[in-house]
Amino acid sequence: MKIKLKSSKNFTLFIIMMVIFIILSIAMPSKFLTGINLQSMASQFPEFGLLALAMMMAMITGGIDLSVVSVSNFTGVIAALILADSIESSTPAGVAILLAVLAVIAVSIVCGLVNGLLIAGIGVPPILATLGTQGLFLGLAIVITQGHSVSGFPESFMALGSGTVLGIPVPFIIFVLIALLVSVLLNRTRQGFNMYMVGSNPTVAKFSGVNNTKVLINTYILTAVLAGLASLIMISRANSMRPGYGTAYLLQAILVAVLGGTDPDGGFGTVKGLVMGIIILQITQSGLNIMSFSPFFKKFIWGFALLAIMVINYLLHKYNERKRVMEMNKLKAAGQAAD
Amino acid sequence: MNLKSLFKKNETYLLLIVIVFSIVITTINPVFMTWENMFDLLRSSSGTAVLAIGIFVVLLSGGIDVSCTAIAICGQYIAINVLIASGVDNIAVAFLISIGVGLALGAINAVFISIFNLPTLITTLGTSSLFHGALLEWFGTKAINVGNIPDSIKVFGKMNILTFTRPDGTQYGLSVFFLILVIIVVLTWFLLKYTMIGRGIYAIGGNREAAKRCGYNIRKIQFFTYMYAGLLAGVMGVMHLSLIRYSNPNYIVGSELSVIAAVVLGGTRISGGTGTITGTLIGVALITILEKNLVLIGLSSYWQQFFIGVIIILGVTITYAQNKINERKGLRAA
Repeated sequence: MKIKLKSSKNFTLFIIMMVIFIILSIAMPSKFLTGINLQSMASQFPEFGLLALAMMMAMITGGIDLSVVSVSNFTGVIAALILADSIESSTPAGVAILLAVLAVIAVSIVCGLVNGLLIAGIGVPPILATLGTQGLFLGLAIVITQGHSVSGFPESFMALGSGTVLGIPVPFIIFVLIALLVSVLLNRTRQGFNMYMVGSNPTVAKFSGVNNTKVLINTYILTAVLAGLASLIMISRANSMRPGYGTAYLLQAILVAVLGGTDPDGGFGTVKGLVMGIIILQITQSGLNIMSFSPFFKKFIWGFALLAIMVINYLLHKYNERKRVMEMNKLKAAGQAAD
Repeated sequence: MNLKSLFKKNETYLLLIVIVFSIVITTINPVFMTWENMFDLLRSSSGTAVLAIGIFVVLLSGGIDVSCTAIAICGQYIAINVLIASGVDNIAVAFLISIGVGLALGAINAVFISIFNLPTLITTLGTSSLFHGALLEWFGTKAINVGNIPDSIKVFGKMNILTFTRPDGTQYGLSVFFLILVIIVVLTWFLLKYTMIGRGIYAIGGNREAAKRCGYNIRKIQFFTYMYAGLLAGVMGVMHLSLIRYSNPNYIVGSELSVIAAVVLGGTRISGGTGTITGTLIGVALITILEKNLVLIGLSSYWQQFFIGVIIILGVTITYAQNKINERKGLRAA
């Protein structure tokens, strides 16, 4: 039953994705279906795609991570300062980039550890813990920069955000690699399996010998690291970093995770579904941009889409339940008739 | 009530923190502990407190509402536009329109949450984007300057219920906003304590299944909860307007997290069923002092976000660590 429902959910998503894509392609082939537009779409979505992957992982364990954008801001500011400093002190670009990446990973691990300890160690509900750290991390980013933006990075760092390999944007390649890694983590490792267990039923997981605390701490470290990696793409694409950048991504990340079939109550979510959710969001966004709708209309549409998807999921779920009950009644009736 | 039970309460600790904090600020800058500054704090934080009470009621019912700031700005901006367009110059009309908008948008939240059974955080995140996007798209993005704000609104913002005269002849006083806050506090307290629907809010927050079996009409209670929060958001929208005498459709939105933080710091459980208005008000006081008075002790405003984060983390850590310790004690005793 679970497998059937799962595949049908992804199938619906696939249909929605194809329909939107075909409509936009037919409606404006000269603008939508061009190499440049496809390329720019492929380089736009990875930064929030990584945040959405992080959100999905937190949701699989039955939690939520409201601090992802703030973690990105914090690590982004630190990386930006290291890179900008390297130009002034004329450190070799390679060394500076390596340092920046290492710093981002180290800082994001610490951020994730703070979240994890609050949630799993002390037992603070994920909403509250990450609400607090959202303020804390963003606050740190603001304090470090005094609210100003940091800009001017080595030329070679730009490749990360705007370079291409054989015409394929580098951010896209990074995203594909990380999505594959997350997929392997969720499907092939003990940590992944345990995340679904904890998300479906923490008590059962605990009594089945799962170390819930460890699983949750690892999960929030992973989500923070994904947010950190997203920040590298962000600052490279924008060539600057200003604290407060990308606050709209929080809603989009939650939207995409839910759109991609992740259950916000925990226990279910697939990378495949999420990726289709991201593609749907990105092509819709691109279509709205080409038709030059205002950002306010887009804001309205994202809210509407999030609500519509959840209502549809609810109705589908109810329909499936009813069908199952009816089938069972039929079987019962058949059984009675046979008697 | 004896001293021991007083020290088991969250509110007591919170109040102590507020007092210590106030003493620290006063020793650094004596301006803080003057009637004038206190009245000023009350005037500027009454709106936040009204919003916080709405969120408090929602949290009690086991939900969360991050859309109330969007509702407040929708109420405010629509009300002021209607007032200017129709030429009506009456504060009561402004309140009525804003409250009407608040009730309607609150009802939309309730439809999703109650009828479609959707998770409250994600629903209100969605509706917040929906409401604010719709406001900016269809009602405009232009800020309304003080020159175009009807006089009755400006007069209301300066109205005092108590007036004092400084030695130099100028006046200051306790704002009418405080009166609105007191009315709302008493009304909410009465609703929660003495009406069936109020007891129902506590009941469904504490244990939804049990409340259902006791015969509470959950759908009705949820509609009441979200519409009440919408109503208070509408009230806050007009209060904010007459306080700053300026209407920008991008204001208020974005402050929802610090309002929720205030409520949660006040000891309201995010899982529902537990919490008091007193706690909520103290929580608002703490957040307001942090937001408005860091400058008084010479810290730049860049530290605001950071300190709010720290306070939320400390607050929830203490609450939940206490729970954990109590649970362990309970286990050992059994």
